[in-house]
Amino acid sequence: MDIIVAKDVRKKFKLKHGQQVKNNGIISNEIDALGGFDLNIKKGEFLVLVGPSGSGKSVFLDIVGGLSAPTSGVVYLDNKPVDAPSEKTGYVFQQYALFPWRTALSNIEFGLESRGVVKEERIKIARELLSLFGLSDFEDRYPYQLSGGMQQRVAIARALATKPEVLLMDEPFAALDAQTREILQNELIRIWEGTDTTVIFVTHSIDEAVFLADRVAVVTARPGKIKEIIEIDLPRPRNGDIRSSSEFAANRHKVWGALKAEVNKAQQEWKLAPGFTD
Amino acid sequence: MNISKRTKSVLGSILLPVVLIILWQYIFSAGYIASAILPSPHQVIKTFIIHFTENEYSFHIISSLKRVLSGFFIGIVSGFLFGLFIGLSRTAEKIFSPSFNAVRQISIIGWIPLIVMWFGVNEFPRIIIIAAAAFYPIALNTFAGVRNVPREYVELASVYGYNRLKLITRIILPSALPSIATGITLALGMSWAMLMAAELFIPTNIGIGTRIQIGREKFNMALILVGIITVGSLGFAMTSIVEIIAHAADRGRILRKEI
Repeated sequence: MDIIVAKDVRKKFKLKHGQQVKNNGIISNEIDALGGFDLNIKKGEFLVLVGPSGSGKSVFLDIVGGLSAPTSGVVYLDNKPVDAPSEKTGYVFQQYALFPWRTALSNIEFGLESRGVVKEERIKIARELLSLFGLSDFEDRYPYQLSGGMQQRVAIARALATKPEVLLMDEPFAALDAQTREILQNELIRIWEGTDTTVIFVTHSIDEAVFLADRVAVVTARPGKIKEIIEIDLPRPRNGDIRSSSEFAANRHKVWGALKAEVNKAQQEWKLAPGFTD
Repeated sequence: MNISKRTKSVLGSILLPVVLIILWQYIFSAGYIASAILPSPHQVIKTFIIHFTENEYSFHIISSLKRVLSGFFIGIVSGFLFGLFIGLSRTAEKIFSPSFNAVRQISIIGWIPLIVMWFGVNEFPRIIIIAAAAFYPIALNTFAGVRNVPREYVELASVYGYNRLKLITRIILPSALPSIATGITLALGMSWAMLMAAELFIPTNIGIGTRIQIGREKFNMALILVGIITVGSLGFAMTSIVEIIAHAADRGRILRKEI
């Protein structure tokens, strides 16, 4: 069963005054971020979007989350068109976006507060999540007292607290160092494998995509649309050891094969468009 | 901050005044300067004590404190509300901001003749100009704080279905707090600075400024210095108290270092 169905989603952005961009040789002050994005996502699957910079992956995530409206086309969530943020979705940002004036525990409670969950219940849920991420001793810490990896664990816990059906993750590990990144990937997959949450995860890292995903959707250079969907045939439950297997390398090769041409194309385009900065 | 660090910081902050006082006493003792031009530290301290014991100096201090605090509170409450208003509404910003920025260029002292003509020589115009001085920094900093709330915070509120009121109380205000706190500290400094103008340009018999005025009329340099030192010390003490309270309450370390 498909929980999310995107049909011919297009998104245009007006550039700031004085900026312009070349689209197929035509100079324009509009940019096509998404150009006919079709994607069906199964309930409970872990779908990873990879694609060159500026291919509209994050834009698509914002549309699914109801934070931004498509110029045309529609995204269905549980058969209903998305036109506003839904209680069924949770969001994890690249820069954590923890509230610095709240403790770890209180940050996790944030999403539950607007849902009318009583204080004792909120604390119970938040403590369970902290313990799941191995952060039980840090519940009274403020974000500035936590490392980047811990902060992102808290941010993921905050998103999971409302038990979303769909979790949208926009390059959540991009700001972390390589070791912390792998540890968090392992933790995320361990925790996710115990839930029935659908995840849409955006990343630039092919290794990350292959390790986490049921399916990797490769997005074309701008305007973004799905180029190819690659099934990752690695067994679950997965753990870190799988990264060194030959199956992992084979999957990695498949994804890179689909992605390479798009990355090159995107880089050519940036070179041709001196008036536009990312 | 541990004890020794705090002691170091206190010692550091009094080092310069102590050196200046020693230098001052030396210049005086060496006879470089007449005591009518610059009295000795000893004379100033004596005048200070006499003022407290015989001339009800504490009464003048309390009157000035009341004046400053009344103006300051009126200024920060109205300035905060104004800054919040133009920060939250783009339309309000378009309507009010240009005029506000134009009026802001005029020194408040320039308004004094007009305000006195309207309201007379009494306490009200004195408080009004102090309030106006406090108004600008708090309004500007509240506005900046509200406008600079990270986009992700607002998106999170929207993801979790927070209504406008909750968005303001739970996200925008806490996020703008460092900026608002800077505005409050600046407003306090401006209030103290404007107190002198209020007391010297809108004549009165009570207040620290009037002592300075009397010192000038009687050519009593020591009395002028007593007034100046009192204002400086009180202003410094109050700003320090505000900072200490703010930092004690700020357990999430959201306040920037400079306030």
